[in-house]
This record gives sequence, C-alpha cells and structure tokens, in this order.
Amino acid sequence: MLFVIGDYAAGALMGALTALAVRALVWPGMDMVIAMLLGMGVGMLVHVVVGLVLAPLLGMFETMTPAMVIGMYGGMLFGMRDSMSAGSAALPAALGVGALFGLLVVLAVKVYDRVLRGVVVDAED
Amino acid sequence: MDLTTQRKWDAASRSFDLLSFADDHRLGPHKRRLFTKIRGATLMVAAGTGNDFKFFPPGHRILAIDISPGMLERAASKAARYEGEIELRQMDVCALDLPEESFDTIVTVCTFCSVPKPIAGLRELRRVLRRDGQLLMFEHVRSNIGPLGIFLDLMTPLARRFGPDLNRETVKNVQRAGFRIRREENVYLDVVKIIEAVR
Repeated sequence: MLFVIGDYAAGALMGALTALAVRALVWPGMDMVIAMLLGMGVGMLVHVVVGLVLAPLLGMFETMTPAMVIGMYGGMLFGMRDSMSAGSAALPAALGVGALFGLLVVLAVKVYDRVLRGVVVDAED
Repeated sequence: MDLTTQRKWDAASRSFDLLSFADDHRLGPHKRRLFTKIRGATLMVAAGTGNDFKFFPPGHRILAIDISPGMLERAASKAARYEGEIELRQMDVCALDLPEESFDTIVTVCTFCSVPKPIAGLRELRRVLRRDGQLLMFEHVRSNIGPLGIFLDLMTPLARRFGPDLNRETVKNVQRAGFRIRREENVYLDVVKIIEAVR
C-alpha cells in the first residue's frame, strides 16, 4: 500500500514539476510547435532527474515508466497550453493541473498493467 | 573479454545496490517464484552485486558469473550468506569458458538488456545448456505499447552510457538464438517479463 501511495505521490510531483518547468520557459504567444517541443524536452529532463531520485524508493520501472509519459506528453501539453494562454493563468492552478495530470497517468499505467499482467505464452498448456 | 562493457559495470557497481531497495520488495517475489524452478547444475549469468542470491531457494550449487570484477567483489559477501554453494567467476557471456551441455538450469536477471551482442551471448548459453535443460530469465524489454516503446527507444542512448539498453527485443533474441519459448509472463506492463525457454 505504501508503494501505491508513493507511486501516486511521485506522479503528482512529476506532473507539477513538469508544469513548473514549462511555465518558466514558455511564454504566451510563443510558436506552439516550438513550445511543444521545448515542453517535451524539458519534461524529459525533469522525468530523468526526478525519476532517478525516486526510483530507489519506489522501484525503477514503476517510477520511470509513468514518469516518461508525464514528462514527455505532459511537457508537450503544458507547452501548448502556456503558449496559447489557454487556462491556468495563475501558477498554483498550473501546478494543480500538472499534479492532476500526473495522477491520471499513474492511474492509467496501473490499469494498463493490470490488463497486461499475467501469462502470455504457456507451451505446457 | 569486452573491456568497454567491463569498465562500465565496474563503475556502476559502486552505486548498484543503492537502487535495489524498492525493486527487491516489488519484484523480489516474482524472482523468488521463478527461482523455485531451478534444478540441477545451475549457471547464473551477470550476477551483479549478488543482490538476487537471496531469492534463490536454499541447497543449490550455482556458478555465478559476471564480466565485472567490481560487481563480483561486492557479490562475495552475499554469496557467502547463501545456504548452499555459490561460486563466483569472472566471465564474458559471449565467450563462456565452459564445456558444452554442462548445466541443467541457466538463470538471468536483467542481463540481456546489457549484453552488447545478445544473440551471441544467448547462443553461448544454448551451447552450455543440457538438451533437457531450461533457461529462466527475468528481463526488461522494449514495450509493444506504441508511445511507451518510442519513449524507451528515445531514452536508450542515454541509459546505455551508464547501464542497460531499454528497448531490447529479448523474447525474439531468445528465439533467434535457437531456443523455444516454454513460457512468457508479463510482470509489469509488457516491459518486465519472465521468460522460460528450452533448447
């Protein structure tokens, strides 16, 4: 149970930090393509740094896998939003959305894991 | 001996055990379950710092090899604690200094994400495995989930500098080396797998 709580906390943290980093770099009116690529890049950086810090506590795969999705996809989406000024004008709101995004990604990965887990091939059947 | 790979893992050996706490708890039960299938003369490839020795059932005789002397140095104390016999030897899996058909069981844990020539290494394993022997693998592989697979491809050049590749097609490599897959199980998404194979 502690690991599960930790997974969600890590996802929220990753999402919030990605949103923060993107907000620091992307300004309203920035070319959206540039903003999305920049967001993706900075999201990947956040995921590597934060992921490596958290992986010893939560597990390499369970940390880095959702972190990759949060950093890359989240970074792109936050970049798109911030370049268009399309919501969450205040920083706390942006961080909140980032954290929510992270939580949802962790949930989605866990659901997907449940679906995929188990025997794929058993020649002895 | 592949000195580049050896040096990489010598360097990694200093911090290797720092990363193992959570993985031991979350993945350890799956490894323990897999290792209950060990029988007869057993070879463990890429023993690392010996972190997985604690998941072996007691009473077995195991030859544990690794390309890195740094890893083996750290594995020695864990081998001594095992309730059985673990012999440690430095060896390159792609050039095993072992006779043909000498083992009933070969075990690998997150090994073939790191061997530079995985099919060559697996062919060597097949050579030293007895005809009725088994290959038991606990590996992480490239995901077939589209975006995740792409992420793993993108991250591999960085990961490879300090550790493993993240996008190996290990199940296919096992088959390309001449093994038949007896059992394949997803442990975490389709990234962490148990692979059991026979000659």
